[in-house]
Amino acid sequence: MATTPPNTQSNSGPSMPYRKFGKHDEKISALGFGGHHLGDADDEKSAVELVQQAVDGGITFFDNCWEYRRGQTELWMGKGLKGRRDKVFLMTKVCTHGRDASLAMKMLDESLRRLQTDHLDLWQIHGVTFDNDPELFIRTGGAAEALRKAKEQGKVRYVGFTGHKDPAIHVKMLKTGFPFDAVQMPLNAFDGNFRSFEKEVLPEVNRLGMAALGMKPFSGHGEPIMKGLITADESLRYAMSLPVTTTITGMEKAYVLQQNLAIASNFKPMSAEEMQAVRDKVKQVSADGRYELYKVSLKFDNPEARIAHDFILDDQSAEVKDMMAEQKNTGHPFREKEKQ
Amino acid sequence: MKDDKISRRDFVKGASVFTASSITPNVFCAAQQPQKNSRELVPKRALGKTGAQVSAIGIGGYHLGSTRDQAEANELVSRAMDAGINFFDNAWDYHDGMSEERMGIALKGKRDHAFIMTKVCTHGRGKDVALRMLEESLRRLQTDHLDLWQIHEVIYYNEPDLYFSAGGAIEALEAAKQQGKVRFVGFTGHKDPAIHLRMLSHGFPFDTVQMPLNCFDSTFRSFETQVLPEAIRQGVAPLGMKSLGGGGEFVKHGAITAQEGLRYAMSLPVATTISGMDSLEVLEQNLGVARGFQPMSKEEMASLRERVRSVASDGRYELFKTSKHYDGDYGREQHGFPKSDELPA
Repeated sequence: MATTPPNTQSNSGPSMPYRKFGKHDEKISALGFGGHHLGDADDEKSAVELVQQAVDGGITFFDNCWEYRRGQTELWMGKGLKGRRDKVFLMTKVCTHGRDASLAMKMLDESLRRLQTDHLDLWQIHGVTFDNDPELFIRTGGAAEALRKAKEQGKVRYVGFTGHKDPAIHVKMLKTGFPFDAVQMPLNAFDGNFRSFEKEVLPEVNRLGMAALGMKPFSGHGEPIMKGLITADESLRYAMSLPVTTTITGMEKAYVLQQNLAIASNFKPMSAEEMQAVRDKVKQVSADGRYELYKVSLKFDNPEARIAHDFILDDQSAEVKDMMAEQKNTGHPFREKEKQ
Repeated sequence: MKDDKISRRDFVKGASVFTASSITPNVFCAAQQPQKNSRELVPKRALGKTGAQVSAIGIGGYHLGSTRDQAEANELVSRAMDAGINFFDNAWDYHDGMSEERMGIALKGKRDHAFIMTKVCTHGRGKDVALRMLEESLRRLQTDHLDLWQIHEVIYYNEPDLYFSAGGAIEALEAAKQQGKVRFVGFTGHKDPAIHLRMLSHGFPFDTVQMPLNCFDSTFRSFETQVLPEAIRQGVAPLGMKSLGGGGEFVKHGAITAQEGLRYAMSLPVATTISGMDSLEVLEQNLGVARGFQPMSKEEMASLRERVRSVASDGRYELFKTSKHYDGDYGREQHGFPKSDELPA
């Protein structure tokens, strides 16, 4: 079932680098296609084309999540991957946020159906955000049991977890002793200076032989780039130069995909000195977290996490807007989009 | 507490307040408390090593600015002082100065019997800005000196370094003390015990340190277990706040009664517990606990902590620790964060 990277055999000209997935032998693309931004594509047709272009451009790692855009991004990715499923390493995430294993298994079946596949290459616990999430994960009946079961049933090949809040929470997850195959975390030059996953989590994940997956190379939505504090090239190169298997980033438009493909295909790792220089350049504006709102505010905390923990919801989030729209009486059957 | 006035920075426009559920029916009811003799006074406690004596409960300045009008504020202050309360809290930025003005008017003729604290909001800016704010506070409060002046909302991770850098706000605290404009100095914050500990790590002779102290805090990123002992060790007087979660959250969600929350906070080794009171009803409710105050036993405190542990351990009712809700706009502006209407939490 292992995916075979395209163009690993030399052809002249730039090509996507592929890296070993943790302690496993198979390789995945050093650039990963983020699922959330796919929901910002103009329409289904553009989304399908984006996915196809990404595969054609050499990306094999595809990220998604049960709750992104209330299932829309999984549906679109499933359509885009039709006929290409075997070329990719498909990951999605489960949104129990402390709730039971049985709920996780239901979500898994929904994800598989939407993604039009009988198995995932990687299934991760989504958004480990709250201080007590690790205890809730590992408790009897918790989501850890679902990860084991899904693997046994052959529905998923590998398992992992993600989160963007606090390195201490990731460390607690690792201390549960659960045999994760992968761990996802925000990695960028700002993080390198402030409550740092790079310093506090990444070395431990590598020591344990788990695949380190980086995300938010552009700090979420690229705010520091728009403000001219750092360039897109520096941001992505910095993140890709860390000891990670892949760097996941959102690409909702063809030009963003092409820009990222160009950076990745011409990728030359930064030297330690170059990386230090980038960190130093943004050091002053890193120190209070203003460009890492996922660490210091609720902004990036998804509604499923907030609902599970009885936190306030954010009516500006895409998912909450979708939820509210679903409550409206449109005259159509509930959740009609799933029946397409 | 009145539901319509319950939130400190009323859940800002654009933010949703709907949550998935509340845990149990609201059990808040002042009538459950034993009647206290209305001639009993609120006890006084020593303010650390300063020699000053302050009342075991203090009037929070933000909520004083949320009273109906000046007349209600006057009545509230007057009744509070009759009951033995002398500690008055405020801040330069509360209601854009209106809280200080209202307090200044309410304390007219009573200044000498009050212990007035206000806070300075430089958020990393230096001595000069701080001293300008001090003059404004003194003018609004109609006094020539403060009893206590504190650095407000030390909640950004780089602020301790900024305050202690050359020309930083710490120099303003020293200068104001030398000039006799303030008697004592301290700092406040609600975010992370680690930030408080960094402020305390400089060996600076703070007289006071203010922090959230309540039965939820003690099992979640706890000021009670991490900061309170260090403050006591250094002889810095601890001041408690947010006994009910800052906006009555613990009570609104039915986890505890107002009396339990206030009694727990006041039973800790603090000089005073600052409580927001935006109406005479809330004052009377607090006086019901504070007159002739009897602390909880260790066992009662432990059992209350245990009772709320499951909903305390993710910070859902202490959003001041886990989100941007409660972080003021003056600080956000200095640190390049979106304002509260763009990023409510």
